[in-house]
Amino acid sequence: MTALRAFLTAIARALLLLLAVSAMVFVATELLPGDAAGARASNGATVEQVAALRAETGQDRPAWQRYTAWLGSLATGRLGTSLVNDRPVADAISQRLPASTALVVLALAFAGPLILVIGCWAGAGSRTRGTRTAVVTGLAAVPQVVLAAVLSALFAGALGWLPPVSLLPPGGSPLESPHLLILPVLSVALPTVVFGAGLLAGAVADTVRRPHAVDSRLRGTPTVLFFARDVVPFLLTPLARVVAISAGGLIAAATVVETLFGYPGLGSLLVTSVSARDTPVVQAVAMAAAAVVLGGLLLADVIAVLADPRRAPRPKRRAPRYLGVQP
Amino acid sequence: MPPTTGLVLTGIGVHDASGRPVVENADVTIAAGEVVALMGESGSGKTSTVLAALDALGPGLHRSSGTVRWNGVPIGRGRAARVWRRSHVGMLAQDPAGALHPLRSVAGLVGEGLLGSRRADRAKSVARALAEVGLAPEALWSRRPHELSGGQAQRVALARALVGEPPLLVLDEPTGGLDPATLELVRVALRRRRGDPRMSTLVISHDTDFVTGLADRVVHVGEVPAVRPRPGARVRSGGVPVLTARRLTLAQPPGGRPLLTEADLAVHAGECVVVLGPSGAGKSTLLTALAGLHRPAQGELRLKDQELPCGLAERTRSHLRAVQFVGQDPATALNPAHTVATALTRPLRILGGLDRSTARARVPELLDAVGLAPRLAARRPGELSGGQRQRVALARALAAEPDVLLADEATSALDAATAGTVLDLLDHLRATRGLAVLLVTHDRSVARRADRVLEFDPAMRTLGESALPIP
Amino acid sequence: MTRVLGTVLAVVLIGFTLLGEWAAPYSPTSPVTAAWAAPTTAHPLGADALGRDVWSRVVAGGRSLVLTAIPAALAASVVGVAGGLAAGWAGRRTDRILTGVADVFLAVPSLLLALVAATRLPGSAAVIVATVCGGAPLTLRVVRDAVTQIRHTGYVIAARTRGERSVAILVREVLPAMSGLVGADLGLRLVIALQIAAALGLLGFGAAPPAPDWALMLRENMTGVALNPAAVAAPAVALGLMTTTLALFAQSTAHRER
Repeated sequence: MTALRAFLTAIARALLLLLAVSAMVFVATELLPGDAAGARASNGATVEQVAALRAETGQDRPAWQRYTAWLGSLATGRLGTSLVNDRPVADAISQRLPASTALVVLALAFAGPLILVIGCWAGAGSRTRGTRTAVVTGLAAVPQVVLAAVLSALFAGALGWLPPVSLLPPGGSPLESPHLLILPVLSVALPTVVFGAGLLAGAVADTVRRPHAVDSRLRGTPTVLFFARDVVPFLLTPLARVVAISAGGLIAAATVVETLFGYPGLGSLLVTSVSARDTPVVQAVAMAAAAVVLGGLLLADVIAVLADPRRAPRPKRRAPRYLGVQP
Repeated sequence: MPPTTGLVLTGIGVHDASGRPVVENADVTIAAGEVVALMGESGSGKTSTVLAALDALGPGLHRSSGTVRWNGVPIGRGRAARVWRRSHVGMLAQDPAGALHPLRSVAGLVGEGLLGSRRADRAKSVARALAEVGLAPEALWSRRPHELSGGQAQRVALARALVGEPPLLVLDEPTGGLDPATLELVRVALRRRRGDPRMSTLVISHDTDFVTGLADRVVHVGEVPAVRPRPGARVRSGGVPVLTARRLTLAQPPGGRPLLTEADLAVHAGECVVVLGPSGAGKSTLLTALAGLHRPAQGELRLKDQELPCGLAERTRSHLRAVQFVGQDPATALNPAHTVATALTRPLRILGGLDRSTARARVPELLDAVGLAPRLAARRPGELSGGQRQRVALARALAAEPDVLLADEATSALDAATAGTVLDLLDHLRATRGLAVLLVTHDRSVARRADRVLEFDPAMRTLGESALPIP
Repeated sequence: MTRVLGTVLAVVLIGFTLLGEWAAPYSPTSPVTAAWAAPTTAHPLGADALGRDVWSRVVAGGRSLVLTAIPAALAASVVGVAGGLAAGWAGRRTDRILTGVADVFLAVPSLLLALVAATRLPGSAAVIVATVCGGAPLTLRVVRDAVTQIRHTGYVIAARTRGERSVAILVREVLPAMSGLVGADLGLRLVIALQIAAALGLLGFGAAPPAPDWALMLRENMTGVALNPAAVAAPAVALGLMTTTLALFAQSTAHRER
C-alpha cells in the first residue's frame, strides 16, 4: 500500500514538474520580446501581412489561452507544423530521433559505469578527499566545447584517425557506421562522467560515513568487498538520480556536439530551429528533452522505493536444521 | 622488557587535521589472557588511541607516532593492519546495533567474522554464537536489522564481536549504549575470556563500577581529574530567587510529546544550579525556554519579583539584559567574520545603550574579567583556541551585565584542563558579582561544583532535587 | 594563504582577459599574413582562415565572454543568496516552497534553457536567463543549508537574545559569516555562466564575426584544424584554463570555510 502510494506520489510529482517546465518553455518561446512572425516578416513584409500571419498562428490571442491550447495539443500528440518549411513537427522529430537515441544511449552506457567508479574514487578517500574532489571539480569546469574541440583537434586533426564530421548516410542507421559515432559519443559522455561523478561523490562520502560502513572498515573488510557490499547497494537511488540529471545535461550537450560534428540528431535540429525562430519545433524538442529528464527522475524515484531495505526481497535461506542448539 | 604475547602499544600519538595533539605518547600493554580497561574522561582520547593502534582512525585524525606489536610482531600500516584486523580483532563499537548493515541477514552479519571455515561449520558456529547471547537462531536466522527489536540488535552485534573467539576483543564504552541484559552478557563473555591464554581483551570505558572486578588492570589516558575543592561558602537559598519557573511544561517539537511536565525551578543570586541528565532528555530545551527562544506549552517565568514573558518579542530591554545564554560549542560561539571587539561591543550598544566609542573603551575591561589579554580584542575567532572562544562568549554575555547566566554544556567541547579554568571563572564571577548560574550538563564531574543539582528524569519527565555531594 | 593566492590569481586572470585587447601585437580583426599560416616567431600561434593573427585574437578573445558571464553570475548569486537566506531563516513553509521551486528549475538542463531563451532574446541575455535559472537554485541550496546551521550558532542566538530583528541579524551576523561561502559559490556560478556563454557562442548565438571571441574562434577554425591545429587549440586552452582556475579557486575557498 505504501509502495503504491509512493509510486503515485512520484508520478504526480513528475507530472507537476512537466507542467512547470512546459510553462517555462512557453514563457521563454512565446512571451519574451520578439516573435517568429515578426522575425519572418522583417524582410520587407507589410504590417497587414504580419498581422495576418499573427492571426494565422494564433499569436493575437491572450497568453493563457495560447498556453492552454498549446498544452492541449501537446497532450493529444499534435505538435503542429514548422513555421519555416510547413512540415509537421512530428515528422522532423521522428526523422532525427534514431540518431539522437543512438548518441544518448551509447553515451549513457559509456558514462554510467564510469560515474560509479570515479564517484566512489572521489568520495571515498579519507585523507586525500580534498585533492580528489579538486580533480573532479577542475575537470568538471572544463567547458564541453573545449573538450569537443580538443578531441576533434587531436583525433581528427593531428592524428587523422577519425573523420572530423559525422554526417550519416541518408536513411542509414547510425549504428551501421560506428566509427562516425566515436567522437560525438566521447565528447558528450566525458563531461557527463565528470559532472555525474562530482554529484555522486557526495553520496559516496555520506555512505562511507554511515555506521555500518565505518564498522566494516574497522573490521578490516577488503576494499573491493567493502565497496561491493557496504557502499554500492546504498548508491542505487543517488546513482539513478545522478544518471537522470546527467541524461538531461547530455541531451543539452548533444546540441553542441551535433552541431560541431554535423551529426543529424535532435540537438542540431533544435539549434537550427532556434536560429530560424521556428517556435513550434523549439517547443516540441525542448519538451521532449524535458520529458526524458523527468522520466529519468521518475524512474529514480521508483528505484528509491524498490531499494528501500524494508521492502527488499528477503533471501530464501533458512537456518540449518541440524543445529540442535537452543538458548 | 615488554611481553612477547598479546598486544603492545608504544608511544602512540594522534593529531587532528590542524596539528593539535589528541593523544600523546600513549603506552598500553595487554598480555595474553588479560582484560585491560582503558579509562579516562570523555574527550581524553581513549577511543582515538585504540583506533590509532588498529590503524582505523576516522577522517581528520592521523597517527603521528607509535608502534603496534601483536605477539611480538610489528603490525604495519595500511593493508597489513587491515588484514590483521580482519583475522584477529573482534570489535564492539559504540552504538553497535546502529552499525549493523541494514540489508544483510542476521546469519550473514554474525558469520562475517568466521574466515576460511567451511559453510556447514560456519552455520554451526553462528548458531552457537547466537544461542550464547540468548537468541533463538531459527527464528532470527534470515531477519534483517530492521526486523529486530533494539535488544535483539544489540545481542546480534555482540554475537558478531564474539563469534570465532577473536584473539583480540575491543569493547568501546559498553555501558554507554547497551541495555542491562546485554551488558550482563558482556560481563559473562569477559569473565570467560579472562585467563584464556589465546585471548586478550581491551575495554574502553569511563565507568569505574563496570570495570571493577572485570579488568585485570586499568590504564588511564589523559590526566586523572583531580576533585577540586568547592569554592568558598555556599550561597544559601534566601530571599527572592533571581529566576523562577513554575509548572513549566515543554514539548519538542512544539505541540509534540512533552519532554518536561510541570517542573519548578529557582535560581538565587550567586548560586550555581546544575541540571543533570542524559543527552537528548530535553535539558537544552529547558534552557532555550528560559532564554525566550522556545515557547513552553505552559507555565510561567519570573525574574526576581516580576513576570518574565516567555517570548523574546515580548521581553523588554531590561528583561533581555538580565538573562544571558552561553551555548555549548566554542567552534560556533563567535561569528567568524567579526573581531572579538565587535562581538563585545554589540551587546554593550544594544542592551547597555552605549555609543560606539564608549562601548569600545569597555572591551579591555570585559576581556580582563574573563582572564583574557586586552590585545586579543583585534583577533577573529579563527585565531583563538576553543577555551579562549568560550571565554569571549562568556564576556559577551557579561557585557549585558546579566543577573542570571544560562550555560548549555558550556564546557563539554573543551579538554579537561580548559574546562576546569572556565568553571573556575564562573565560580569567581558568582562570588564577585553575585551572578546566578544555571548550568546544564550530562557530565557528573561538572555537577560536583554545584550548590544544588536537579536531575532530569526522562522517564518521569520531571526535575528532581538530587542529594549532594555528587559521586 | 592559498585563499589569498587563489583570489589574486583569479583577479589577475579576469583582469588580463578584460584588458587583453591592448596587449595584442596585431589587429585581431584584420588579415596580417597568409590564411592558415603555421606558427612562426612573428605569429606564435599562426593564422586563421582569413590570415588574422591567432595570438592577438586569443589575447583579445575572452573579453566578451567574461563581460557576459560576470553579470549573469552576479544575478544568479544575488537571486540565490536572497532565496537561500529566506528559505533557511524562515524555514517550514517558505523553505518548502522555495526549495520546491528551485528543484523545478534544477530539473531543466541550463544549456537547453539558454537555447530556448535564445529563440527570442539576444545571446548574452539568454546566458543571463539560463545562468539565473540553472545557477540560482544551486546557490539557494548551498546558502539555505549554511543558514540552517548558522541559525543555531552561539552568535546568532546571542543576537536574538539581545532582541535584534531578523533583517539586522541576517545582514550583520549571517551574511558576513558566510561571505567566504558566497564568494566561492559566485566563482562556481561564473564557471557555469562561462560554459553556457561558450556553448551558445559556438552554436552561433554569441559574438558576431569578425569579433575576436574564443567560442566563435572554435566555430570558425574547426574547418582548418588539420592545417593549423593551434588555431583551435589556443582558444580552447584559454577557455579551459579560465574555468578550471576559477573552479579550483572556488573549491579551495569553500573547503577552507568548512
